[in-house]
Amino acid sequence: MLLFAKARSFLRNLLFTERVEVDLDQEVRSHLQMLVDENIRAGMGPREAERAGRIELGGAEQVKEQVREERLGSSLHSAMSDCRFGLRQLRKNPGFTLTVVLTLALSVGANTAIFSLVNALLLEGLPYPHPERMGTIYTRIAGSSAASDERHNVNGEQWELLRDNVPALTSSVSSVGTSGVNLKGGSHVEYVHDGRVSTHYFEVFELQPILGRSFSADEDRPGGPRVVILSYNLWRNVFGADPRILGQPVLLRSEPYTVVGVLPQGATTPLNADVYTPLQASREGEGGGTNFSCIIRLRDGVTWEEADAQINRTWLRRTGRYELVDNPGAKVSYHTVPLQKGQTDALRPKVLALMVAAGFILLIACANLAGLTLVRMMRRTPEVATRLALGASGWQIQRQFWIENLLLALVGGAVSVGVGFVALRELFLLLPEHFLPVASVPLDGRVMLFTLVISVLTSVLFAMLPALAALRVDLRSSMANRSVAGVGSLRLRQALIAGEVALTVMLLAGSGLLIRSLIHLETLPPGFNSSGVMVAKASLDDVRYHDPATFRKLLDESTAAMRQIPGVENAAVGSNLPYEFTGNDWITLSDGKEAGHQGGVDWVYVTPGFFDTLEMPLLAGRVFSNADGPDSQHVVVVNQSFARKFYGGTNPVGRYIDQYGLIVGEVADVPLSSGLDPVAPLQTEETMYVPAAQIGGTLLALMHVWVQPNWMVRTAGRTAGLTAEMQRALATADPNLPASGFYTMGDLLARTLTMQRMEVALLGAMAALALLLSAVGVFALVANMVAQRTREIGIRMALGSSIGQVMVEIARSGVAASLFGVVLGLVLSAGALRVMRSVLYGVGVYDITTNLLVVLTLLVITLLATLLPTLRIARIDPARTLREE
Amino acid sequence: MGTKVEEAWKKGSAELLVLSLLEDQPRHGYEIGKLIEVRSGGTLHFHVASLYPLLYRLEKRGWIEGRWVEKANQRRRRYYRLTAEGQRVLELQRRKWQEFAGAVGRIAGVQHA
Repeated sequence: MLLFAKARSFLRNLLFTERVEVDLDQEVRSHLQMLVDENIRAGMGPREAERAGRIELGGAEQVKEQVREERLGSSLHSAMSDCRFGLRQLRKNPGFTLTVVLTLALSVGANTAIFSLVNALLLEGLPYPHPERMGTIYTRIAGSSAASDERHNVNGEQWELLRDNVPALTSSVSSVGTSGVNLKGGSHVEYVHDGRVSTHYFEVFELQPILGRSFSADEDRPGGPRVVILSYNLWRNVFGADPRILGQPVLLRSEPYTVVGVLPQGATTPLNADVYTPLQASREGEGGGTNFSCIIRLRDGVTWEEADAQINRTWLRRTGRYELVDNPGAKVSYHTVPLQKGQTDALRPKVLALMVAAGFILLIACANLAGLTLVRMMRRTPEVATRLALGASGWQIQRQFWIENLLLALVGGAVSVGVGFVALRELFLLLPEHFLPVASVPLDGRVMLFTLVISVLTSVLFAMLPALAALRVDLRSSMANRSVAGVGSLRLRQALIAGEVALTVMLLAGSGLLIRSLIHLETLPPGFNSSGVMVAKASLDDVRYHDPATFRKLLDESTAAMRQIPGVENAAVGSNLPYEFTGNDWITLSDGKEAGHQGGVDWVYVTPGFFDTLEMPLLAGRVFSNADGPDSQHVVVVNQSFARKFYGGTNPVGRYIDQYGLIVGEVADVPLSSGLDPVAPLQTEETMYVPAAQIGGTLLALMHVWVQPNWMVRTAGRTAGLTAEMQRALATADPNLPASGFYTMGDLLARTLTMQRMEVALLGAMAALALLLSAVGVFALVANMVAQRTREIGIRMALGSSIGQVMVEIARSGVAASLFGVVLGLVLSAGALRVMRSVLYGVGVYDITTNLLVVLTLLVITLLATLLPTLRIARIDPARTLREE
Repeated sequence: MGTKVEEAWKKGSAELLVLSLLEDQPRHGYEIGKLIEVRSGGTLHFHVASLYPLLYRLEKRGWIEGRWVEKANQRRRRYYRLTAEGQRVLELQRRKWQEFAGAVGRIAGVQHA
């Protein structure tokens, strides 16, 4: 009953506000009337009775106000009226409102975008059933100079042992990425991505084909039958979702593969392939090196510890372990790691660094907003004083300001979601496909919640200061003074500016270092002439080209055809080009005092025109010619790094290498992306070039699984229609060979440096944002000082100071704060940026140039931000300010 | 206007006063205020600005109920009456007040009138 009465009263107060107001008014009026009547009865005249009555009542409004406070729903009511008042105030000050909303939107938006990345990569569960039971294997190497604990790919021996001797796990391996192959279904030729997987791969991901079945153990044996499983999208797009597809042959690599299964719609694996074929791993060939990626699932009723123990038992028994060859005497062990960590470990530090940078921006924004709202608060002191005099409580005043700030936070937060969305989309455009281990980065519920929390937190942070200031308003003095210029608040604002600038310095220095690092990588001496070269890639992962004669014929005919293209000076083919990821091999020197020396080298096959087409300088001996064929002596050409490493820099021409033959020439180094010993995204390494004509059948079959050879032409600057002609030239040699893509050397360089470019773009954008925010902060500080001290300036100028002197005087506070911030920032950078060492190439953490540039940039921006508002001083008329006293 | 202590006493007893005045019959705000002043011999005087909020507070709790009444020849007035819950609270508060006043009296050596 009680609750019902309360609820009814609450609703009545909320919904029938007008009615309730009228009632209250009538009640109070009726009371007044009774007082007046009483006074009249006591003998007063009507006017006097009225007056006495009003005095005794004490003011109808006050009474009503008191009652309103008591009413149920009054807090909500006054909160709503505070909201309305707040909105009006914000509308009346569009400059302030816009600045705050934009500042919030940009800074929170940046955080939203970065957090979405973090969410998708690190927080969101993997899209597989029971992902916590999935993992991968890390190899821990301790006690040597290169201690590490990271994920390794496995070789054929490791795979077989894992598969047969570790019953705790359902194990699977796959090719490290997908290979591009040509699929022919009917008359339709298409370039697709093929993922090669072991028998239980789909089981590990708990994926059941909707048609057919997964691969059997027989099909996964070397030399086993050729079968293929289609992805849903491919099945739908190329085969029209034909339900009778099972058992049909499709041509992959020009060989018939029988379709045995189709995956469900939306099925996803890390390979994200269009088709899947059996890996057919063995200990030879591919399996002779660590070329398989391993993913495991823990079986029911077993623990990860048991799995670890089994893995260690079986793998440590291997003879000839590669880990020990690279690190003799080291202690090696293996342990399982949850899949999410395994997939994202490399990206984790970078993403977290981005979060820190985004956090900096938020702090800078808060500092700005605190300064802005503080100033605005001070300007409203007369209003506050008046309200206090009229009977408002301190809490009511505070509530008003909290609500205004909350409104700003909500609007800013809403806009920031839009900003975050746009930022994310731009980010994704920067990245190539399959770069991130997730398919998409959505703005999901968790991200929205994050945005809301951050906006509100920010509003609390920057509202706190002025709100606290509101408590200390002294009525009398504030109503008397038109300008409230507390020295304390100036120092506070200067401190905020100094802090902002320090953070900005750190962001600028960090992105400056990354920029220099990228420039270093992009301007590595190319060792060849990179302009005027157009490249076409095509997949030769095709059974026809397992035959060396067919392969040679293709190369000869296609390069000849390309040389016929008008404007083309030269054409050649190479398995790898400069700037690309290059295959490698292990060689042994045959003769001389270095006989028996072994080492890893990068390995490239080329047609005779390769070095001329690229205009790579020949340093000694000769390059290949058409005479270097399958039946003549086997020859190689090496580069300068090779000569340096194996022959101490002496002329390598005339020396022999086991199984590869005679060194006939030495060429200059070119930068490449190393698979041997990566220390940088681009580096020079010992490389061995082999004539394409001299490659044997087994090697051909293997290589083209991983490598797409490149057809290059050199033109005298012509590019229009070139790619179409190149495709036609290719087609004359083989009509069933579509080029998978066309690139300039610049494109290849960009592709290799994608990560670095992304880092520069992201951090650079954030540094620019921080710089903008800091500039706004300094500007606001100085502009406000000019406004506050207008009278003082007028007096000074009347007393004889020049405009210049006054400007300097006023600007001093802004400049001083910035300078302090710059010094603080440099000190902090020296310590904090050390973590960047591992991602910097060709530039040290304490790089003088970068630091100088940063300081210069900030000084210029600060001076600008300080000067602009001080220009207003020129417009101050001393006579008028004196009159306004 | 009285010392701080007396203000506190007034605050503490205000609800009891109003509830008890409504025990016999419904009354309106003006009447309640006048009655308190008269029956206390002028000692207790409730300012209008504190009386009406108190009435609304009691109404909010469901102890009294207000209703508009239109009598002939009279302005429309809001009459308050005690609810069943209010009656219960009144009896409880009366008892508590007796205990309290008695205890204070014993300690402070004050005799009841």
